[in-house]
Amino acid sequence: MTVAPGELVLEDASRAFSVRADRGRTLKELIIGRERAGGPAPVQALDGVSLHVRPGETVGMVGRNGAGKSSTLRVLAGIVPLDAGSVRTGGQVVTLLELGAGFGRDFTGRENVFLNGALHGLGRAQIEARLDDILAFSELGDFVDAPVATYSSGMYLRLAFAIAAHLDADILLIDEVLAVGDESFQRKCEERIARQIAAGATLVLVSHDAALVERSCARTVVLDGGRVAFDGPTAQAMPFYHRLMGTPDPQPVTP
Amino acid sequence: MIPGVAHRYLFEQMVRRELRQKYKGSALGVAWYLINPLVLMGAYYLLFGVIFELQRIPDFPLFLMVGLIVWIFFSQSLLSAAPSLLDHGALIRKARFPRETIPASVVTVQAITFVVLLALVGVVTIVLRGTLDVALLLLPVVLLALFAFVLGLSLAAAVLHAHFRDVAPILSAALLPWFFLSPIFFRPEDITGQALARAALEWGNPIAPYIEAVRAILYGGGAPGLDVLAYVLVGAALSLVVGRALFLRLQAELAVLV
Repeated sequence: MTVAPGELVLEDASRAFSVRADRGRTLKELIIGRERAGGPAPVQALDGVSLHVRPGETVGMVGRNGAGKSSTLRVLAGIVPLDAGSVRTGGQVVTLLELGAGFGRDFTGRENVFLNGALHGLGRAQIEARLDDILAFSELGDFVDAPVATYSSGMYLRLAFAIAAHLDADILLIDEVLAVGDESFQRKCEERIARQIAAGATLVLVSHDAALVERSCARTVVLDGGRVAFDGPTAQAMPFYHRLMGTPDPQPVTP
Repeated sequence: MIPGVAHRYLFEQMVRRELRQKYKGSALGVAWYLINPLVLMGAYYLLFGVIFELQRIPDFPLFLMVGLIVWIFFSQSLLSAAPSLLDHGALIRKARFPRETIPASVVTVQAITFVVLLALVGVVTIVLRGTLDVALLLLPVVLLALFAFVLGLSLAAAVLHAHFRDVAPILSAALLPWFFLSPIFFRPEDITGQALARAALEWGNPIAPYIEAVRAILYGGGAPGLDVLAYVLVGAALSLVVGRALFLRLQAELAVLV
C-alpha cells in the first residue's frame, strides 16, 4: 500500500529499548553465548501505536517524559526500526530533532547549509538555489561565514531551523527545539511553518509547551506508557493531558 | 557504498567534514596527513635500513617506502573506520541518511593521503630506479582494487565495532604482528626457503598481494604476475560484496547502538 506525499501511517507499531549504560556487546559475550544477566527490563517505548495522519494535518504529540513521544518521532523519521507493526511516510520527510545535529562544528554557517542539505538528500544545485533564502531567514548576518562552533545556541537554532524550513518538506517532524529561540524568532518560525502547512505540508510536533501545541496543532495525540491515550482535536486533548499530568487545566487568560 | 548518484553530494560533504575536523586548529592543518606517515616511514627506514641493514635488497629505502605506504593506507583505514560510527553517533541518532557514507568518507580521506604519498614516492622510485614501464598503466586498476578491498573491510569493521565494542582493540592488537608478517621490509623468498612457509607469507596474508602488485609496478618496473593480479581483483570484489552485505544487514539498529 502506498501513501500520498505528506501522509503518514503507523500500524500497531511497537518498539522496545533495552536500558543499559553500555549499549554495545562484546565479542566475548557472543562467543560464550551468554548475555550479562540482570539490569532493568527493556522499556516498551511504543506499545501498539496506530496513527493515521493525512496530508496537511497538524498533529501535536504530548505526554510525560518517557511516554514514547521522541521514539515515535524517530520511528516516523526512519531512524529507528520497529520490532513489530509498520510505518509508512510519503514524500520528503524533514526532521528537526536536535539543534544542529548534522552540523560540522568547524564548518561555517554557509558550509553547514550545504552539509545539512546533503544530509537530507539534496544536491549542490538544489541547495544553491535555496542558499540566499536560508541565510536571510537565519538572520545571522556576518556570522554565516564564521565556524558554527562560535555560535550561541540561539544562533544554532536559527540556522538549523532556516535550513529545515527551506527543504520543501512534505512532512515536518519537530522535537521540542523551538524553545531556544527568542520570541520574535519563534513567531517567525511558527509563521513559516504555517505557510508550509497552507501549502500542503504535514506537521508532527513534540512539545511540552502546551500553548505552542494549542497554537500550532489542530489535532493532538496524548501518549502514555507507549500507548495512545487520547487522539483528537487539540481543544479536547489538552484537558485530558492536564488531567493525566495531574496539573490543573490552566484558565484561559482574558486579554 | 560508493554512494549512488542521489547521495554523491552527501558523500563529498562528509569527506570535506572529515578532512576539516581531524586537524582543526593545528598550524600545519592538512599537512599532518602527510607528516605522520612520513615520520613513520623515516622511523622504519632507520630500523630496517640502518640498524638491521637489510641491504641485500637494492635501493632498500624505496623498496620499503612503496610497501609501507600501502600498509599505512590499509591499517590506518581500518583503525579510523572501526570507531567512525560511534564518533558520529549524534548524527546517526538524529538524522536519516545512508550510514555507509560515514566509514566510506573516512576511508576516502585516508585514500587521498595515500595517493599523495604514493605519487611522491612513486615518482622518486621510478626516476631513481628507471622503472618507467608500460606496466604503469596497470597501477590505477591495482589501486582501485586496493581501495575496494580496504573499503569492504572497513565497512565490516565499522559496523561490527558498533555492535561489539572490542573489534577496534582487537584490530589494533592484530595489526602490529600483522605488520611484521607482511612483506613490507622483506621479500618472502629472502627469509624462507620452505615452499609452504613462503606460500603462506605470499598468499595467506590478504594484504600481501596488494603490496606485491604495487611494488612490482613501481619498484620492479614490470607487471605483477597474473596470479597476483587475479588475487587482487577477486579479493577486492569479495571484500566489497561481503563487507557491504554485512553492513546492510547490521545497520538497522545503529541509531540505538551508537
